[in-house]
Amino acid sequence: MTTFDHAGPARPARGPSRWVALGWQLLGLLLILAVWWLLTDVLKLYPPYVFPGPKAVWTEISYGLWGSGPQDGKLLSAIGGSLRRMLTGYLIAVALGVLVGLLMGAWRPLRTTLGAYLTGIQSVPSIAFVPFAILFFGLNERAALAVVILEGFIPMALAVSGALLNVPPALRVAGRTLGAGSLSLTLRVLLPASLPNILTGLRTAWSFAWRALVGGELLIGGVASLGEQLEVGRNTANVALVLATIIIIGLIGGLFDALLRAFEGRVRRDYGLEVPQ
Amino acid sequence: MTRIPLALALTLSLAGPLSAPAAAQEAQSVRLGFFPNLTHAPALVGLERGTFQKALGKVKLEPKEFVSGTTLTEAFAAGQIDIAYIGPGPAINAIGRGMPVQIIAGASEAGAVLVARKDSAIRTYKDLAGKTVAVPSLGNTQDISLRHILNESGLKPKTDGGTVTITPVAPADVLAAFAAKRVEATLVPEPWGAVLEAQGHRIIGTEKTVWRDGKYPTTVVIVNARFAQANPALVTAFLKAHTDAVAFINKSPAAAQAAVNKQLLALTGARIDPRVLQRAFARTRFTTALDPAALKEYAALNVEAGYARSAPDLTPFLRK
Repeated sequence: MTTFDHAGPARPARGPSRWVALGWQLLGLLLILAVWWLLTDVLKLYPPYVFPGPKAVWTEISYGLWGSGPQDGKLLSAIGGSLRRMLTGYLIAVALGVLVGLLMGAWRPLRTTLGAYLTGIQSVPSIAFVPFAILFFGLNERAALAVVILEGFIPMALAVSGALLNVPPALRVAGRTLGAGSLSLTLRVLLPASLPNILTGLRTAWSFAWRALVGGELLIGGVASLGEQLEVGRNTANVALVLATIIIIGLIGGLFDALLRAFEGRVRRDYGLEVPQ
Repeated sequence: MTRIPLALALTLSLAGPLSAPAAAQEAQSVRLGFFPNLTHAPALVGLERGTFQKALGKVKLEPKEFVSGTTLTEAFAAGQIDIAYIGPGPAINAIGRGMPVQIIAGASEAGAVLVARKDSAIRTYKDLAGKTVAVPSLGNTQDISLRHILNESGLKPKTDGGTVTITPVAPADVLAAFAAKRVEATLVPEPWGAVLEAQGHRIIGTEKTVWRDGKYPTTVVIVNARFAQANPALVTAFLKAHTDAVAFINKSPAAAQAAVNKQLLALTGARIDPRVLQRAFARTRFTTALDPAALKEYAALNVEAGYARSAPDLTPFLRK
């Protein structure tokens, strides 16, 4: 289920190689912008109401983020609203996921039943849960939050229970021999030992939850959110706003993923899981 | 680094389709967009009575139903609609984005009411504070009207830092949303206002208090400018059929109501009591006239609602 991670954990790229990579990335970005600009603003291959050029999208971003007109700054408040919702949902999801993951890791019957169901539920696209959440909670933020929690909780629980199972048996035996009880064994041996895998779960949970959030907000509307900006853009034939919002969603998602990835990489290095270059 | 070739390939592969929506001369069919609302009665009556098809002769009429002007605008942008009945809000937005739109006639005026759920405490516009209000879709004509009403009442939508949650619900689904207590009020086009009223819900804003004493366009007829250029005869024929349909509605309201009811049942599955429909008709005016001043004010409201940064000059897009 969690095979979307093609890039793997962060490589401890240091020194010139990191700058070279950054340089290539910048070059790639410039090229994309150039091709986009060429197709839209120069060749005018598409009408602007179908595929606007980078300039129009930039206008939306600048008005939406730091414009000072009466209706400006909407993207900024949308980012604020979405992030607040996201952090709330994510924290609850992680806490729930750790708890259930621990229980699943400790108790085999739970693992074979609930674990299997969670894997199944995870394959359902998050947007499929939104109509049900709306009926259950109403057309409000709680419906979006519920979907975020559900989508974040599952990968977290699966990662935690999987991580516990992957702890080398020797550590378990050593802990027992040294006189640790169940709780102390879990807290002082198993959890620290499975930390790198749990961190992968944190990152997976983040990306699942982030996508679920935007999908939920799109259908719920009515509150300041990135999903609502997409809907407004769509509804007012403002494709530039739609593209601007997509770019911001991608940037925020990527930024948080990079942060968590850096943290994960650090921990993996500390655990001796990364071979230094 | 696979990024560059991949991005290039992606962008280039996008270049193929989409470009230049076909504006074939001598169209074989006319694709007509409309919604199943009373404010679109000329479309419903014209369809039910075969008025359009008769006027178009051998050219086939392809009616396509939409829930709101905003989805219709998307179809319009994608070149899938030639002529459409649409609210002035989406029409003005489409013009502002440079879509090839011409407004060729009026269709209806007023015909939108603000209804509050019977078990809510809402009695006036000011009571909407802190409540959830449904509109057919964000950015549509009723949404723009609602934002104007809120503004006049010293209220603000939640997305602008206020307390009123504006949420999109398709008009035919508003009945269910009221029953499930998902929303407390709605600004809807008829006949859904009258249907809600018949269920005991309260009208707190009549078509006259919504805006401009009821003298505002609710539905206009637009045509794809490229289609109009390539098929002037077809547009003229359609316009004549539209005028006939409006005249029929005003001359034989009872027969028109029966025709509307038949179409509504077929399109939405809702069977509406003829007396309820009659009340909804009484709150809507049908006319082919276009009031440029009202449209201009609407464009200003659209800016006020935050859906555009400037009001486009509509004069070149109006066709008399």
